Amino acid sequence: MADLTASSRDGVEDAELQSLIAEADRLGVPDTAVCRMLARVPDHGKPMLRAMLVSHQQGNVDHRLKEMVRIRLARIAGDARSASLRSRRAREAGLDEAAIEAACGDFERDDRFSAAEKAALRYATDMYGSPETVDQAFYAGLKRHFTEAQIMELGAFIALHYGIYALLRTMAPAGALFARPAAPR
Amino acid sequence: MALRYALWTAVNPAAVDDAFYQALREHYSEEEIIELGLFIAFNIGYHTFFGTLKFYPMFAPDGRLVSQDESARIYGAKPVSLA
Repeated sequence: MADLTASSRDGVEDAELQSLIAEADRLGVPDTAVCRMLARVPDHGKPMLRAMLVSHQQGNVDHRLKEMVRIRLARIAGDARSASLRSRRAREAGLDEAAIEAACGDFERDDRFSAAEKAALRYATDMYGSPETVDQAFYAGLKRHFTEAQIMELGAFIALHYGIYALLRTMAPAGALFARPAAPR
Repeated sequence: MALRYALWTAVNPAAVDDAFYQALREHYSEEEIIELGLFIAFNIGYHTFFGTLKFYPMFAPDGRLVSQDESARIYGAKPVSLA
């Protein structure tokens, strides 16, 4: 459970932000250091944390698939810290480390993944590795497995998480902005 | 510095190191750096995603509201917004 006493001690007074941090703590993603960084700029950090949690946990795309996509994206971005985090909800739903490692490896040749799961992993991989290949034909291929709403849900999830991991990769190694908790108010 | 922060975060993250953050602190508070970083992160992620969706401008150069098909005819395969 979230240590709300600690959050309050760190200067997080906003009730919704406290609730979001508690939700992140229950899920296991993002971690406490990231939440504390976001809490230092509540007007910006709160909607960012809310969007991360909503896009990861809600909607009509399987959470286990999103968790595999998230970890693959963190590795692609080079954010080892976020790649090491695990969603407790996905683990409780049966996602194990073997599947995560396979999703981060040569998933195309792995029979454990359905065609839909491979398409989602390919979407995440190609979006930032070779965006020119994510064209009309690519989207037509996705539509064989997902509704348009699911594709937009997945695309927005990928965009948000890749973007934030691209930032965190510059902060995590040195702990540049994570070192100091928010000042008491 | 802010423009360099945006560019390097996207394409040269190794250069955004401790020394770079220290240099940023000479111009911005830590809260401003985080705010700027989150804005950059959001745009790094979403502009590439939107680019794959091939959004065309909703307006013609003369200001008329146009459909995506007409906009594609006007701006061609690579409108500025997709560059």
